[in-house]
Amino acid sequence: MMHTKEGSMEKRSMAQSPQRSPLASIAKSDVPQRGDEKSDDRFISRATFASIVHQLIQRVQMPGQLDVTISSWWNGEVRWARNSVVSSSDRRDIQVGVMRRVNGFFGQAITNQIDESSLEALMQEAEYAASLRAGVSYPEFHAPYVALPTPSPKIWSDATVVASSEDRNKLAHVLSNGAEQKGMISAGYLETRGSSYMRFIINDDFIARLKSQPVEKALAEIEKAIPYHAYTQAHCSMTVRHPKGTGSGWAGLSGFDWSQIDAGALAEQALDKCLKSIDPVRIEPGRYTVILEPQAVSDLLDGLMYPKTSTEPLSRIDTERGQGPFVDSYDSALGLIRTRLGLRVMDDRITISHDPMDPQLGIIPEPGLAPVTLIENGVLKTLWYERDYAVVDLYESNPALRRVAYRMSGGTATIPEMISTTKRGLLVTRFWNLRVMDISSLLMTGVTRDGLWLIENGKITRAVKNMRVTESPLFVLNNVEQLGTPVPVFRPAANPFESQLTPAIVPPIKANDFSFTSTIDAI
Amino acid sequence: VYSRRKFLECGVTAAAATIASSAIGSVTPRPLLAQLGGKPEPVPPIQDPRLQKLVQRAIEAATAAGATYADVRLVHTRVRLITVNASNFEWMTVGVRALVNGFWGFAASPVWSFEEMARLGTAAVAQARAAAMDKTRPMTLAPLPQVANGHWDMPIEIDPFTVPVDEVVDYKSSIQLYAAKLAAARGYRFSAQNAQCMFVAQEKAFGSSEGSYCTQRLYRSSGGYSWELGNGTDTVPLGAMDYLSIAGVGWELYRGQPLRDYTDLVIEEGIEDLSLPKKPVEVGRYETVWDASSVAHLASATLGLATEADRVFGYEANATGTSYITDPLQMLGSYPIGSQLLNVTANRTEPGGVMTVKWDDEGVAPEEFTLVKNGVLTDLSTTRESAGWLSDYYKKAGVSPNSHGCALGAQDIVGRGMNLPLSSTPNLKIMPGSAEQNFDSSVAGMSKGLAFRRIKFDMDFQQSNGLGVPERVYEVRNGKRVATIQGAGILFRSTDLWKSLIALGGTSAARRFGMFEMKGQPPQWPYHSVTAVPAVFKDITVVDASRKA
Repeated sequence: MMHTKEGSMEKRSMAQSPQRSPLASIAKSDVPQRGDEKSDDRFISRATFASIVHQLIQRVQMPGQLDVTISSWWNGEVRWARNSVVSSSDRRDIQVGVMRRVNGFFGQAITNQIDESSLEALMQEAEYAASLRAGVSYPEFHAPYVALPTPSPKIWSDATVVASSEDRNKLAHVLSNGAEQKGMISAGYLETRGSSYMRFIINDDFIARLKSQPVEKALAEIEKAIPYHAYTQAHCSMTVRHPKGTGSGWAGLSGFDWSQIDAGALAEQALDKCLKSIDPVRIEPGRYTVILEPQAVSDLLDGLMYPKTSTEPLSRIDTERGQGPFVDSYDSALGLIRTRLGLRVMDDRITISHDPMDPQLGIIPEPGLAPVTLIENGVLKTLWYERDYAVVDLYESNPALRRVAYRMSGGTATIPEMISTTKRGLLVTRFWNLRVMDISSLLMTGVTRDGLWLIENGKITRAVKNMRVTESPLFVLNNVEQLGTPVPVFRPAANPFESQLTPAIVPPIKANDFSFTSTIDAI
Repeated sequence: VYSRRKFLECGVTAAAATIASSAIGSVTPRPLLAQLGGKPEPVPPIQDPRLQKLVQRAIEAATAAGATYADVRLVHTRVRLITVNASNFEWMTVGVRALVNGFWGFAASPVWSFEEMARLGTAAVAQARAAAMDKTRPMTLAPLPQVANGHWDMPIEIDPFTVPVDEVVDYKSSIQLYAAKLAAARGYRFSAQNAQCMFVAQEKAFGSSEGSYCTQRLYRSSGGYSWELGNGTDTVPLGAMDYLSIAGVGWELYRGQPLRDYTDLVIEEGIEDLSLPKKPVEVGRYETVWDASSVAHLASATLGLATEADRVFGYEANATGTSYITDPLQMLGSYPIGSQLLNVTANRTEPGGVMTVKWDDEGVAPEEFTLVKNGVLTDLSTTRESAGWLSDYYKKAGVSPNSHGCALGAQDIVGRGMNLPLSSTPNLKIMPGSAEQNFDSSVAGMSKGLAFRRIKFDMDFQQSNGLGVPERVYEVRNGKRVATIQGAGILFRSTDLWKSLIALGGTSAARRFGMFEMKGQPPQWPYHSVTAVPAVFKDITVVDASRKA
């Protein structure tokens, strides 16, 4: 496997002969050979990464830190709607990003072209941008720069990259057939992705040494020093609707391993939900006991883990500035804001953690990315901070880097058990358009979608019209009654360029007093 | 031979004076490479005839492989983004779309070479064949007058990429500085969070197997600030400088607007807000005055997205959703979508519109069309494929069955990537009312009610119900703003809301706003402009937005 091999067995010809366009490596479309680092030409190799880094280093003119990010990706995609495949696609792209840090100011440039002259221009632009001193200055590191280790998780599945467009399309046909046979209408999306990535932060000493070395030696050193991560991703989701628009069901799952996604089971689930959701009745908005399926739990936890607000709830810096839900109090004697680190913030059955080496939680490894426990038995254990903060404020070398992937602990209850012990409540499939309205309470608003049912006296009694919800994940996690077995959910990356992968493993939850504020018409 | 484009044109400035002189003024032209004749060379301007040969190669490969139709887009995008840091992005992409038995195949990559065009043409057909699996999907592409060889430059005043970055940074900082000084002079606390400017220049070539070939140079510019104003006890947001919202213009977005005057208005609004008494929201039904921003965002959410043909027909069902227009062929031409005062046109032609083009991503030259006439839904935004879905209606209504030219393979939020074209919301225009009313005069004419500025909308997945949360809510008594209301939101059903429209502002109160939507799988982020006037709505349900059940 590519990421377990240290050093490289790759052909060196690419790095050695400048005449050959490095892009040739993605211009061919040979059949990939089972995850072999040497031959899958849909994304770029370690040797090409090394060659790019080497060329960039040669172009450095200003002193200061050089932060290089290179990624390349291939996506195989199929989209279907109205029970028929509509489009099938094969897309590839590259991104080379250079961030220069000159006298504390940053300058950045990004391109998708990796020829020599584009890389030269890229470096000059980044340096010029840094020289503008456009932004705020960050203190330079005073501690000696220590290259932090980057973990090498195995987020790779051969099944994902060898799945052909025929495989994906056949599957899409099969998945929509099930709905069609029942007279329903299916729409969905399958995606398989293979990608390579590295981020390498280089200091002045390293640059100076490499610049003075012969090409051969420098390349060998770079190739040894840079991280190389090849990873795969797969997504499958579908919506089954009644032809008159009177019912809708959904199911979806993401993971790195295409072979672990049981698309047939998802299709059955979406169809089943659709059939059971037809002709929903309106019920009074209000507080209900809810059974949140894992997808709904993950949608709600986005408010905590992935809120897309300018303040991050789990950011240590934001919290110490007095923003977010984990501000405890202002200590007037010390003149600083106390955080809720070490205090209980949710139900003591809940632990939220992330291990970058866990392939199911695979995210793109950054230098210094280490396992982290955010919440341990309900107690806030960690707030994120970057390397700058670690070095300058904490006199430590290791950061607690932000990430949006996580595992939440669970319990032993099954959803049927949760239903059977519920006198009156609602079963929620998922939420849509949840948005944080208030960062200090994490109050969110959004709507339910694709399956909402009333539970009465231990049984599902009827499909219910969708409702707007106004609720905070922190409130829910403090009102938990039962927890089930944690499972992976559907968490697509926001776009193919976003290096941030977002896997989550969450349990279904039964919680009390969940707030539904109004009924909506949409089905 | 080719004039080298200057990517960063910079003079020697005080800011850069401390930097090694070798880096100043010598920032290179951007030699992204095209491989047009075996030898890599800097990318020529988009009009270069050899690019047409590049496009032709992909089309030939696709047709040779059995495509009944194929089209090719070459897109070269430059982005300059200035936040706390300065960033430059540049991308070359190519996408080939091929049709086999009514199924679309698509292949995209970052390489502009003859070899790669041939590969992509073949690959797109292979994708389409895999999708078809020997079946046939009914599909008609609406007819299209072919453009044999067209070129168009979006008419902007100043190419933002000819403006030194220092000048941009200076403008960006000086507006903020001006606002801070103004606030200080009036005795208020001022704080600034985020500020950004973004400029995009995009060169596009489009060619199809039907014989169209056209090239365009498009621009979009945007900016924004996040400011707060405070006195001893309170702090209020100063809103976005939405005069800088995204538009199809160049550097004149900054240099061509009276930004100091606008800053004065923004500060005045903040001071008024701080000086008015605060009141908690009283849930109820109110007559309300909305500013142009609120009306524009409402139109986008409830009329723009809801009338995208692919959403309406269920092609987005597994992505961002469908529409409350559930039976388009019955509803078009008869469905009352709002009050008789409501007239909405759509276009991709208005100067300054962020969706403005000469040709869309299928080579269609879009013409203005009417979405809503006297409160009745009359049309949907279409592509060549989706126009065909409406042919029965168009025949009955006696109108042209052609595409409205809404095809766009939009990119990600900063302009990266190459996507399959989908139907996107075009620029919208709400027709102003006959009386010369604006926000202030509408407030002056109201005896009792509420007035809203800058409502943001949280919609459902059919654009049918929503929650609107205004940035400012005023209590109005006898034509005066007498208090600010805290925490109010409005709950509404889209079509009911437009039916409760009772007055629209006049032509001189019209303003254009740029906004984006997300759609598709994989997701794309198309932008559109909405030109709107302030409006008065009666019987609006006002709730406490952050109150739980």
